[in-house]
Amino acid sequence: MTDKFYEFFCPVKVIAGKAALEHIPYELSGLAAKRPMIITDKGVRAAGLLDPVVSACEESGLDIVSIYDDVPPDSSKAVVRDIAGIYRSEKCDSIIAVGGGSAIDTAKAVNILVSEGGDDIAKYSGAGVLKHPLKPFFVVPTTAGTGSEVTAVAVIADTEKHVKLPFTSSFLLPNAAIIDPRMTLTLPPHITAATAMDALTHATEAFTCMAKNPLSDAYATAAIKKITGNLLKVMDNPKDADGRLELAQASTMAGIAFSNSMVGLVHALGHATGAICHLPHGLCMSLYLPYVLEYNLETIREPLGELLLYLDGADVYAATPASRRAEAAISAIRRMRDALYKRCELPRTLKETGKVLESQLDDIARAALDDGAIMFNPKEVSLDDAKAVLARAWA
Amino acid sequence: MLAKRIQPMFFQARRLYVELMFQVMGRALQAVSEIDETVQQEANALPEGFLFEMMVMPDGARLIVEHTGNGRFRYLGDSAPRAVDLSIQFKHIAHAFLVLSFQEKTSVAFANDRMLVDGDISRAIRMTRILNRLEAFILPKLIAKRAVKEYPENIHLPEKLLNAARIYLKVATNFVETVKA
Repeated sequence: MTDKFYEFFCPVKVIAGKAALEHIPYELSGLAAKRPMIITDKGVRAAGLLDPVVSACEESGLDIVSIYDDVPPDSSKAVVRDIAGIYRSEKCDSIIAVGGGSAIDTAKAVNILVSEGGDDIAKYSGAGVLKHPLKPFFVVPTTAGTGSEVTAVAVIADTEKHVKLPFTSSFLLPNAAIIDPRMTLTLPPHITAATAMDALTHATEAFTCMAKNPLSDAYATAAIKKITGNLLKVMDNPKDADGRLELAQASTMAGIAFSNSMVGLVHALGHATGAICHLPHGLCMSLYLPYVLEYNLETIREPLGELLLYLDGADVYAATPASRRAEAAISAIRRMRDALYKRCELPRTLKETGKVLESQLDDIARAALDDGAIMFNPKEVSLDDAKAVLARAWA
Repeated sequence: MLAKRIQPMFFQARRLYVELMFQVMGRALQAVSEIDETVQQEANALPEGFLFEMMVMPDGARLIVEHTGNGRFRYLGDSAPRAVDLSIQFKHIAHAFLVLSFQEKTSVAFANDRMLVDGDISRAIRMTRILNRLEAFILPKLIAKRAVKEYPENIHLPEKLLNAARIYLKVATNFVETVKA
């Protein structure tokens, strides 16, 4: 009897492409929602990204009842409580998150409070605590990397206890993710590069880590193909709306892949580096990806070799002997990083970031060992192993 | 027909096996924390009074250990004096049996979503490392390789045999003391 097993779940309606934002009023009406609240951050508002969302709704006679635009980069319990208070006082009945990871996570947490009641979000922390569907919830991502629009998790800081509260439930998933190329057209080059490398890492780890499965594999490979085919084109021509849409879709597909097959050591190191050195997540992913693939190489040779087809195309794949494809896949990722460095100086080593001290590497290694993602890395990681990977990523 | 008759016996045997393994693991966790420095270092990062539970959902067999300080665990049986801090929960007794009979590695069981973690994930990772080290000591290498992601190369045979003997002796003593009490 086979010993294979997997689960796959993604009930999020994906609405993607030209004039996708204009579908929001119809989709909300389908859920009997008439009084939406927008949750976003100041950067999104300043970039003018709220305007097309608001006007798309108003044109259909749907008023946005409230806009909260002060979500900080690391959202906290107090922020969630305050937004939930506004939602209740304005008698809203649905939430539209417009932004990146922080705005989306905050909106997920607000949705818990306004649906379940109470003011203390910490009460709902953990896995499987939520037992009922929440209020109608839409997500409009403004970066193409996190995949938060299709993940069933949120993380909120408890600033009093100095811990991060994780929330895991399929009820956190939005009813719909709206992928509109207008939302990412103005992303600056280094954020475009870092977030796309974040998505590439999601897909690569999803395809090579322990919980990989046939369905997540399909999403992961399709995402990688879209990223390698469009990232440099978009870097050279930021107004390429088709390329932007491809990257945004790739991010969502990579999000679907990794939320069903999890991630590994790249994320464990990235989370630790983000917490200790305050480096952006996407940058950490780009930085560690080749070094971790080299560390895992003998455990993931076969799936990594398969990825060469999506990273470098059919000609290169066919011309590379099967025994060398895994190394060639890592080389393709390194070439992508070099090309991004040339275009926007996206750092390739910890030293190039200028924000990490060599003396911090031991702390990063120790923190990475306790990160949940390490459980799904295909190869066991000891403290010395983590230190060795960090030493290679240093310079 | 015969299969239908045997099935209840199999279910009963499986339940008894899981209950017995939890009792052995709980006592072995206490024992390994008394003799192994690496386990003590790992456990020392947990707060004093920290309660760890492994159980079968919804209300099946369970083991509970408490960190009493200095990296030492105490096996508390199947009932906790207060709410546990970390609970690793098998979704079904069949999943617990797969892991406890070494047909499925703990890490694979996590990857296959056989278990839920209720509590701090980083502490769950730490407890998994401790359980892996325990299994590497008390199981023959061939079986331990089926239980852990990677058998630790730095555990050599004399150390393994000596520690396994000490752990089993402590487990047996604890069983006897429990029966006497």
